[in-house]
Amino acid sequence: MDITGEEIAREAPASLRSTAIRPGPLGLIGEALRETWSRRRLIRYLVQADLKKKGSDTVLGNIWWILDPLLQMVVYVILVSVIFQRTTPDYPLFIFAAILPWKWFTSSVYDAITSVVGQERLIKQIQFPKIILPTATTFAGVANFAFGMIPLAGLLVLFYSDRISPTLVFIPLIAAVQFVFTLAFSFVVAGINVFFRDIANVSRHALRLWFYLSPGLYSAAAIEKLRETNPLIADVMAINPFYTFFESYRNVIYGTPTGAPSMPLWGHLAAWLAGSVVLLVLATLLFKRLEPAFAKVL
Amino acid sequence: MVEGTSPGAIRPGAPTVIEVRDLGVRYSLRLTRKNTVRQSFANLLRRREGPSSFWALRHVSFSLTKGESLAIIGPNGAGKSTLLQALAGIITPSEGQIDVRGQISSLLTLGAGFDAELTGRDNILLAGAFMGMDHREMARRIDSIIEFADLGQFIDAPIKTYSTGMRARLGFSIATAIDPDILLLDEVLATGDQVFRAKSQARVLELVRAAKGIVLVTHDMNWVTEFCNRAILLEQGHIAAEGDPAEVVAIHREHSEQVKAQKAAEAARVLAAAR
Repeated sequence: MDITGEEIAREAPASLRSTAIRPGPLGLIGEALRETWSRRRLIRYLVQADLKKKGSDTVLGNIWWILDPLLQMVVYVILVSVIFQRTTPDYPLFIFAAILPWKWFTSSVYDAITSVVGQERLIKQIQFPKIILPTATTFAGVANFAFGMIPLAGLLVLFYSDRISPTLVFIPLIAAVQFVFTLAFSFVVAGINVFFRDIANVSRHALRLWFYLSPGLYSAAAIEKLRETNPLIADVMAINPFYTFFESYRNVIYGTPTGAPSMPLWGHLAAWLAGSVVLLVLATLLFKRLEPAFAKVL
Repeated sequence: MVEGTSPGAIRPGAPTVIEVRDLGVRYSLRLTRKNTVRQSFANLLRRREGPSSFWALRHVSFSLTKGESLAIIGPNGAGKSTLLQALAGIITPSEGQIDVRGQISSLLTLGAGFDAELTGRDNILLAGAFMGMDHREMARRIDSIIEFADLGQFIDAPIKTYSTGMRARLGFSIATAIDPDILLLDEVLATGDQVFRAKSQARVLELVRAAKGIVLVTHDMNWVTEFCNRAILLEQGHIAAEGDPAEVVAIHREHSEQVKAQKAAEAARVLAAAR
């Protein structure tokens, strides 16, 4: 076995690590893209493992993904229509259109927060691209939303068949924009949580507040009404991406209160697609900048 | 034991697989484990008190040629594990550089990083994917990994049902089965039962004979003198001695005796003062 230095160099490219070599922003983004693509199999395994585990630790398993949003819907229906005496036609479907995407978002964020710190032992043992971890949890989160389509279909067919409209086909489009936004958000919380474990505590309350400030339990018309007295707050609330997402989902699932089908907020959605891509680039940069310190801090 | 691995048998002109030049690894004392915002504020206020960082490794230079088996020895906290982590690329150097040619497999803590909920088989595939192995390659090797780990029926049971020894066997089996160019081992030869220990030692020797590079951290001085070509003594992040394993081990022994004597004297002084 006589292998010369050149041959080795050709077989396995030398990896030179030093402080002098620090890729710039474009280099980091390129690196992140290459890492994610070359480790797509790892992402798949992690997603599969995640789904397997989530289904196995409770008696009802994945049935909970169907029951959870339904039970949450019941809670809000009792709160709003029985206690507050608000009357919106077909209110259960009205809020269900917001609960589904919101459950998807929050479960993805919670999973992302622990995605890096949860693999502490592995990170200290093997060198691998850490950006895979929040990416995998975010992909696994999609299953949460996909399962949510089952109770949605059930509700529509059994109780609200007059509201079924062809605009339902736009759900995946809205979900795609929400996915990009969620991925960006996941990178940020996953990276920062390594340094400040408070993120987990803060996020629980921040997310709840975020939901109440988004037109989930109420319609965007309520925000427009607020504009008459307090235009600034109304503007801030309209900038919220979940203003766009909730309204769009509701338009295609629920339609107008009278039952006429309506379209997603196309303009807002396009703006949030562009905005989410920009956020994703910035979040990737942040994550890649923090990444080298993970093994030392964990 | 095994013939044909006489220490010091380095072929002249063998290519360098690891080149470490003036390596330094600095840890920040401000950003430590489980930091919270509150502690960070406290640290900001106490900014000028005490050192803000320490060097776990400083001015470390050495190289490893193909076919060498290098032992890193030294007292606890000398920076041995940090050095392996830096070689594996897990932590980036704060200064200096590391030049690695070839595929590295690190086995720094056996069985750590397994997913307890998944089966042994799933964990093998997952570990392979984490190490960047091609999945087809991994599928080809999975049978030999399972065979070497000798887990029998347990391979399809969740890892949480495994004993510590079984986990260690599986971890060792995975790390060595991927046929790395460079193998980093941290205290792994001491784990498992006697039979597996002999088996794993034989496997390491096999890798040595296959002219791969090996860097291992161990407290087993017999292993060092018997099977390593070279040894490095690390003390407080610096290389205190380097060279022939027997000589380096002797220096290490001497230093530990001195430290022991110093500690005994100090303990006596403390006791005397207390009286």
